[in-house]
Amino acid sequence: MKLQHFELEVLLAMIRERRETYSVPLVLALEKQTGRRVAQAAVFIALSRLEAKGLVASRLDEPDGGRVRRYFKITRTGMAAAKEHHHEHARLWRGLGRLLRADKG
Amino acid sequence: MRWILRLLVNETDRRTIEADLAELHELRRRQNGQREADRWLRRQHLLYPLHLLADRLRAAAIRRVTAMPNLWRDLSYSLRTLARTPALAATIIMTVGVGLGATTGMMSVVRAVLLNPLPYADPDNLFWIYTDNPPFKFRFSVVDYRALEADHPAFSTVAAYQSRTVTLTQGDVAERATAKSVTGSYFPLLGQSALVGRLFDPSDDTPGDRIAVLTEGYWSRRFGGDRSVLGRTLTVDGESYTIVGVLQKSTGPLENNVSLFTPARWPPPRRKGPFNTMAIGRLRPGVSPAAAREPLRATNAALFPIWKSSYQDEKATWGLQELKARVVGQTGSTLWLVLGAVACVLLIACANAVNLLVARALDRRREWAIRGALGASHGRLLQHLAVESAVLAAASAGLGLGVAILAINAVRSYGEGYIPRLNEVQLSLPVVAWLGALAAVSGALMFTGGLLSVVRGSHRQMDQTLRSGGRSATVGRGPRRIRHALVATEFALATPLLVAALLVLSSLDRLQHVSVGIDPTHILTAEISLPSARYPEETNRRALWERLRDRVSKLPGVEAVSLADSRPPSDAGNLNNFDLEDHPTPPGGNQPLSTWVAVSPDFFRTVGLPLERGRLLDAQSLRDNVIVVDRAWADRFFPGQEGLGRRLHEGGCSTCPWISVIGVVPTVKWTGLEAADEGTVYLPFVDFPNGFVMLRAAGDPARLSAELRAAVRDVDPGLALANVATGTELVSESLATPRYLSVLVGMFAVAAMFLSVVGIYGVMAYFVQQHTREIGIRLALGGAPALVHRMIVMQGLRLVAAGVAVGVPAAFMTVRFLRTVLFEVGAADFAMIVGVPAGLLLIAAAACAGPGRRAANMAPADVLRET
Repeated sequence: MKLQHFELEVLLAMIRERRETYSVPLVLALEKQTGRRVAQAAVFIALSRLEAKGLVASRLDEPDGGRVRRYFKITRTGMAAAKEHHHEHARLWRGLGRLLRADKG
Repeated sequence: MRWILRLLVNETDRRTIEADLAELHELRRRQNGQREADRWLRRQHLLYPLHLLADRLRAAAIRRVTAMPNLWRDLSYSLRTLARTPALAATIIMTVGVGLGATTGMMSVVRAVLLNPLPYADPDNLFWIYTDNPPFKFRFSVVDYRALEADHPAFSTVAAYQSRTVTLTQGDVAERATAKSVTGSYFPLLGQSALVGRLFDPSDDTPGDRIAVLTEGYWSRRFGGDRSVLGRTLTVDGESYTIVGVLQKSTGPLENNVSLFTPARWPPPRRKGPFNTMAIGRLRPGVSPAAAREPLRATNAALFPIWKSSYQDEKATWGLQELKARVVGQTGSTLWLVLGAVACVLLIACANAVNLLVARALDRRREWAIRGALGASHGRLLQHLAVESAVLAAASAGLGLGVAILAINAVRSYGEGYIPRLNEVQLSLPVVAWLGALAAVSGALMFTGGLLSVVRGSHRQMDQTLRSGGRSATVGRGPRRIRHALVATEFALATPLLVAALLVLSSLDRLQHVSVGIDPTHILTAEISLPSARYPEETNRRALWERLRDRVSKLPGVEAVSLADSRPPSDAGNLNNFDLEDHPTPPGGNQPLSTWVAVSPDFFRTVGLPLERGRLLDAQSLRDNVIVVDRAWADRFFPGQEGLGRRLHEGGCSTCPWISVIGVVPTVKWTGLEAADEGTVYLPFVDFPNGFVMLRAAGDPARLSAELRAAVRDVDPGLALANVATGTELVSESLATPRYLSVLVGMFAVAAMFLSVVGIYGVMAYFVQQHTREIGIRLALGGAPALVHRMIVMQGLRLVAAGVAVGVPAAFMTVRFLRTVLFEVGAADFAMIVGVPAGLLLIAAAACAGPGRRAANMAPADVLRET
C-alpha cells in the first residue's frame, strides 16, 4: 500500500495512541514527535485519505450539547500496511548502521 | 471561513473541524496566551480552505491522468475547433500573450530593482550614512568618515569609498575607467571574497605599496581572465599599481561599471570638505535605524566645533538610509507606474478574451445541447471547456515568454543609465513561475466566462435550444450581463491609463519646451581628466589646459573653445553654500545654496551667452576674486535690485576674502530641465584636475569629434577623452527618461483603448445579430431607421459611460500617484481628465455606429423571412 510521508506519520501516531482517537490528540502527538507546528487541516486530510484507503475507520460521536467528534481507529489493513512499511525500511537500513557509525565526517 | 468550508466539505465534517479547531485553540490559549492562540486560529482559518483545495485539485489531477484518453480526445477536439475560428484564437492568443509577456517582463524588472535584496551579506542591515541638511543629503567628507570610524556604537562595521574616473594606460593605449578607493573594511563589510589572489583588509589602510584589486568584468575584458595577472602592474593616472587580486563576480550596484579598487589612503584632511566620500555601515543586531540616529547625531555634534572654520552649517547633522533605498532612488514610482499600466493592459486583454469566448460559447449552445442530449455529462462538457481554455492560456503563455524575453532585453539595453541594478534583471525561474501563474489565472478567467454562459443551460434550457433550432433564442440575461460588465470594466481600466499616458506626454512636451538658456546646436563637449602623477601642481595643470585650448582652437571649423567643470542641461559640478554680505545668515541658520560652475573666460562666447549687466570673467578674475551670476540668482537674492557689486563668502568661510559679482548673464539650466531656476554662480576655471572641453563649431559639431580626439592626443598621448557629446545630444539625453516613460505608457494606453473599442464593437455587433428579428419587426411596423441606429449606439454608450464613470475617480488617484514623475502638473491636466472620458465616448460611439448602421439598413421583409 503506497502511503505518503505524512500519512505514514499520522498512521504511526495512531498506533502509538493504542485506542481510538480524534484529530486533536493526533495534532499534539505529531507536534511533539516532529518538533514543528502541524496544521489541523493536514491531519484532517491525511485521516480522510487513510479512511478512503481503508487503513482507518471512523465513527461520529455527537453527544447532546457536547462537541461533535469523529473518532478514528486503525483497521487490520492499516496495521498490515504499517508493518509492511516497517519491514521495508528495516530491509533498506540493514547493514547501514555500521557504515554510518564508521563515517566520522 | 464557514461558507468556504461549506463549499468544500459536508455539514458534519464542517462541524467536526470547527469543534476540533475550537479545542486546539483553547489548548493553545492555555499554553501560549490569548494573542498567540488567536493568531494561530486565524492562520488555521486561512490555511484550511487552501489545504482542502490543494487536496481536491490533487485528487482531481490523479483522476484525470487515469482518464487520459478523454483528455487527449478533448485536446485534439479543442485544437480543431480553435483552428476553425483562427481569427478568434489568434486575437485571444496575441492580446493575452502580449499582455502576459509585458507584465512578466516588467515584473522581472521590478523584482530585480525594487524587491530583491542587494547581493551582499545580510543586506537588510546595510545603511548609507550621510550629511543630512534638509532638503539635501550630502555624502561625507573624509573628516566625517574618520570621526565615524573612531566612534560608531550602533554599527558593527563601517566602511567608505570614493569613486573617481581614472586614466588606465597600457603601452600607447589610454582608456578611461571608474576606480574606487575603498577602506580596508569595505570588502569584509559587504561579505565579498576574492576570485583570484586577495582583497583588501584593514592592514591595507596604512601607507605601503600601491596595490589594486580588479573587478571580474575588467579582468575578463582586459586580461582575458588570466589567473597569472597577480603581481603585474597597471598604470593608473600615471602611477604604477600592483594587482593583488580579482573580486568575485558581482552584479551588485556598488560594482556597476567599476574597473578596479585601490586602498583608501586619504591624507589627513585639512578642512571639512569636499563631500565626496560614500560612508556605509552595518547596524549591530537588534539596533533599529531610529536608535542608530541618536549616536550619529551626537558624534556629529562633537565634531562640529572642531571644524567650524571650514563648515559653519550647524543645522546639518548625520542621518542614515537603507543602502537599497539609496541605490534605487526615485526609480521606484516610475517602475510601479509602468507595471501598473502593463497589468491594466493584461486585465483588459483578459476581459476581451473572455468577452469573445462568451460570445462564441453562446453561438455554440446548439452544439452543447446536442452533446448533452446525446448523453455527455456536465463533467465532460466542463472538461472540454477547461481543455479549450488551457490550450488558449498555454499558447498565450508561450507567446508571453517570448515577449517577456524581448521586453527584458529592451529594458536592459535602453534603460542603461536611468534604471539602477539593470545588470541584475534577468528571466529567472520565479519570474517564469509568475508567468505560469498569470497564464493560469487568465485561463481560469476564460474558463469561467465560458462556464457561466454555457453550463447555465440546464437540460430544460438545452431542450428549448434544440427546439428553437438555436436561431431565434436571444441570450439569457446572465451571459449578457457578464459581457456588458466586461466591456464596462475594460473602459474603467482604460480611462486612468489614457489619462496617465496623456499626462506623461504633456509633461514631456512641457519639458521639451523648457529653454536650456543657450543654443546647443553647434556645441561639442568632451571630458578630460589629468593624471595626478603627471600633473601634480597647479602650474602643470594650468599650462596643460592652456596648451589644449590653443591647440583645439586652431582646428578648422572651430569658432570658439572653452573649459568648464559642468555641462548643461543636467551635469552641474557643485552645489555650494555661501553667505551674502547684504543678507547674512543668522547664527545656526542654513546658508543659501546654488550651483557653482567653473568656466574659462571664452565660455560665454562659446555657448553664445550674452552679457546682461556689468562685465564677463577674464584672465585676472581668479586673482580679483570676482564671479558672474545668472539672472535667476540675481532675481532670487536681489529681486528688483542691482545685482552687480554684491559680495559674498564662499562656503561660508568668514575669514576668506570677499568675492564680488561683476556681471549678470541670462539663466542657463545646469541641474536638469525640470529643476527650478535657483541661480548659478560662474567662477574662473583655472587649474582643475578634471574638466570639459567645449567648442563651438561652424557646421555640424559631431564631425569634429575625431579631430578633437587627435588634437588631445597631440597635446598629451596619455590623456583619454571621455563622454564626447554634442550639445543637442546632451539635451536629448536629459529627456530620455520622460521620453521612454511616455513611449511605454502611451503604447500601453493605445493598446488598452484599442482592445476596449474592439470589446464594445463585438458586444454591439452581437447584440444586433441576436436582436435581428425584433429590429426587423420594429422596422416593418414603421420604425424609423435613424431611431434604430440611435438606439443601438445609445445602448453601447450606456455601457461605456458606466465604465468611464468608474474610471474617472481612478484617474484622479493616478494623477496623485504620478505627481512625482510629472513636470508641472497644472489645471490643464485636470481638464484632460474630463476630456479623456469625452474622447472615449466619442470613439466608442464611432465603434457602435457600425452595428447601428447594419441594424438600420436591414430589409425588414428579408429579416422576417430568414428568421
